Amino acid sequence: MERAWVAGEPVQLDAAIAEAAKLVAASRQPLIAGLGADVAGVRAAISLAQRSGGVIDHMHAESLLRNLDVARSSGVMLTTPTEAEVHADTLLVAGPVRQTTLFQQLVSGSSRRTTGAKVRRIFWLCPESGTATAVAGRDSVNVVGRALRDLPAVLAALRACIVGRPIAKTAISVRTLEQLSRDLKASRFGVAIWTVAHVDALAIEMLCGLVDDLNAKTRFSTLPLPPADNALGALHACGWMTGLPMRTGFGRGHAHHDPWLFDSRRLIGGGETDCVIWISAYHAEAPPWREAPPTIALTADGAAFRVPPRVHIAVGVPAIDHPAIHYLPSTGTLSAVAASQPSTRISVADAISRIAASLPDDGARRC
Amino acid sequence: MLTLLAGGRVIDPVNGRDEAGDVWMRDGRIVDAPRETRPDATYDATGKIVMAGAIDIHSHIAGWNVNTARLLLPEYHRAAMARPATTPLSYAGWSTFETGGRYATMGFTTVVEPAVSPHYALHAHLELADTPIIDKATLAMLGNDDYLLSLLRAKESESAIEDYVAWVLEMSRSIGIKVVNPGGAAAFKENVRAFSLDDVVPHYGISSRQIVKALQRAVNKLGVPHPLHVHCNNLGLAGNVETALETIEAAEGLPLHLAHLQFYSYGSDGERGFSSAAARLAEAVNAAAAAVTVDVGQVMFGPTVTSSADVLRQFNARHRARPKKWLILDGDANGAGIVPYEYRRSDFYNAVQWAVGLELFLLIDDPERVFFTTDHPNGAPFTSYPEIFALLMSRDLRAKWIADLPSAAMAVTTLPSIRREYTLPEIAVMTRAAPARLFGLTDRGHLGAGAVADVAVYEDDADRAKMFRAAALVFKDGELVVRDGGVLRHTWGRALTVAPQRDRAVDRRMKDYYEERYGLADDLFKVPADALGRPEPFEVVPCRP
Repeated sequence: MERAWVAGEPVQLDAAIAEAAKLVAASRQPLIAGLGADVAGVRAAISLAQRSGGVIDHMHAESLLRNLDVARSSGVMLTTPTEAEVHADTLLVAGPVRQTTLFQQLVSGSSRRTTGAKVRRIFWLCPESGTATAVAGRDSVNVVGRALRDLPAVLAALRACIVGRPIAKTAISVRTLEQLSRDLKASRFGVAIWTVAHVDALAIEMLCGLVDDLNAKTRFSTLPLPPADNALGALHACGWMTGLPMRTGFGRGHAHHDPWLFDSRRLIGGGETDCVIWISAYHAEAPPWREAPPTIALTADGAAFRVPPRVHIAVGVPAIDHPAIHYLPSTGTLSAVAASQPSTRISVADAISRIAASLPDDGARRC
Repeated sequence: MLTLLAGGRVIDPVNGRDEAGDVWMRDGRIVDAPRETRPDATYDATGKIVMAGAIDIHSHIAGWNVNTARLLLPEYHRAAMARPATTPLSYAGWSTFETGGRYATMGFTTVVEPAVSPHYALHAHLELADTPIIDKATLAMLGNDDYLLSLLRAKESESAIEDYVAWVLEMSRSIGIKVVNPGGAAAFKENVRAFSLDDVVPHYGISSRQIVKALQRAVNKLGVPHPLHVHCNNLGLAGNVETALETIEAAEGLPLHLAHLQFYSYGSDGERGFSSAAARLAEAVNAAAAAVTVDVGQVMFGPTVTSSADVLRQFNARHRARPKKWLILDGDANGAGIVPYEYRRSDFYNAVQWAVGLELFLLIDDPERVFFTTDHPNGAPFTSYPEIFALLMSRDLRAKWIADLPSAAMAVTTLPSIRREYTLPEIAVMTRAAPARLFGLTDRGHLGAGAVADVAVYEDDADRAKMFRAAALVFKDGELVVRDGGVLRHTWGRALTVAPQRDRAVDRRMKDYYEERYGLADDLFKVPADALGRPEPFEVVPCRP
């Protein structure tokens, strides 16, 4: 069953597509935001942004770009979830971490390393909640510090300690840090883990620097836990299609990336867009703003809108309603996944392609 | 649709043609001149050079590594945009769409992406499916993967290795196998920092040489047309010519391809302990069996990014990044390292590297065995090819460049003394005929009847760089896609793959292995046929019987 609405009234899908195309055609700078879609949906969205001189953003761009900014301004060691699972004998967790399946597996499982220690040692810096051991489901988690606000100072002191510089007392005693430093150096292959959404840029940079320093003598890498909603898949699709991450505009006739200029909230707040296409196929997330220009919402069932969209199309959930290619936290890459409960619900890619096909032909090249 | 390309100088070494003449195309293929039939379209090529579409055998254009480099270097893209076309940074060619278009405008119609981690194969193919006009193919990387190393440690049968290689080729939809610093990435995970041909991967107890030999044998036995593609140990280090010489010797006369040999042609002579050993290596290549082939990996000056699955080498080079940023991935098998770099004319080492590449081109006698690459983007971006063709074809041009470079650097190379100039037919062999043969593409790289109608037409300009930068006409599958260096339309090419036979029992073994090692279904890493959303995304190249 297809479900679509215009101005809150149920309509046939065709009518919703036609209304959406009318809004996009009349727009001078459409904003495509949310972008919670599989790779096919993201590709269609980028093509539409390109064609309509619009802007492309993602609901988790803030934390994605924070992590990426560290990589594009310094150095980063990185590993895959599969490699961490197979190889890590030590985990250094920083800040609060969402209890994802991947994280649970990493902290609860024993190392599959074929050499060295079988039991993975876990050190958890500033978990905030005070329930780190409960989250990890293990008594053997070494919790160092509590409050997230202490994390940057603790990391700085730890890094100094690792390279043998004198340190003063932080939230943690010098002795504890010295012991932690010794433990980390004694690891064979350690992995630092943090949730991208919870840790600020300076802490990420300090973590990456600390890991680089540890590599002077042993092996250490990092595994930032990415946001949901195919955020990394969207980042990569933006990368190959435009050469740039999201928060990219096409109004100048070529891709122009500017994380400040093309931030959805800023564009909405400043009245710099006259049409929003909001996409949330995974979690029926509604746009976060309270006022907005005419909006075309492509979401999974059940979105609770603060501002009623002009057009709303209930789309299928990738890998549930239709097969999908998207980033999987377990594989750490783009994977093709079959539909678990196939339905006829329209995909984001099809909805956007139909909107695009209903636009007046501007003679532009199609991707 | 019958198309006539009339009166050009047709340079087609495979069919022994170098003459003014016609080329006919019908329904995407080259055909013999038909009798009493009028063409539907005629293009006058009088005074122009007509060759088959060029084939690039080693260019990193798609996949996780390349894309992460894009994301790491937004300034390359941005800076390029604001500049006129001839300034150094204008090469970015950075999105997949630009990549396909820019290759096509130079007359290239097939490109091999040589470093795909099997676990990232779907990602690579998604990017290739978004790379217009050109056909493409991928090499799957093995040799640092636990499964192969475990087979070797357990002294499993040769057929077990062949089955596994065949399984990987199919799941990743690749055309061949590459091995990158064999065992080096696996050893690096065990904190090894230097790794040579006879060093042993800790825990597995297998040497780099054993890995090369096992894969070379398996690829050959399976009848995969492209020989094992080897990125040797010790890339970039002074004195590493010994590694390259040992690897050539290890080929034992069987087919083996050595990638970007320029990066292995260094001696340790001179005041700075860094010199060209290209002459020695070229001599070894000339003396080796014809089945041993090499590509160059020419360096050109300017900013670029080194992107390599040689994680150990990239790790060791990370603090020499220009600009100072880098990313090193400890991957499931090979991993990757992305280190931006700027080759500078004023830099002694960079100038030696530039000369070494040209020495290899000019001192290896047979243009069928030395392939034209910059290891894009590692030595230089592929958009610098036209300048390299010009350098190969003119000793006067080389002399001008040499005069501008540090004399101390030129003094440790033989380049200033080399007089050879490539001819157009030799360029056609090196970039068309030989690459097609190296990959078993019998219907490419030439203009005989039955060949794919991929044709490049160039102005016969004395300025060879200008000539090769902007083809006058390019036909892809018989369709005109480029005119006067501009893209007319975006077609969607195919990815070329091989599908050697295997004992299907390996499928069950792999399923169990993935379940046990990762707790994951092996299907999650495969490239399904229908995943790419293009009508005919793949074309299977036959294996030798």
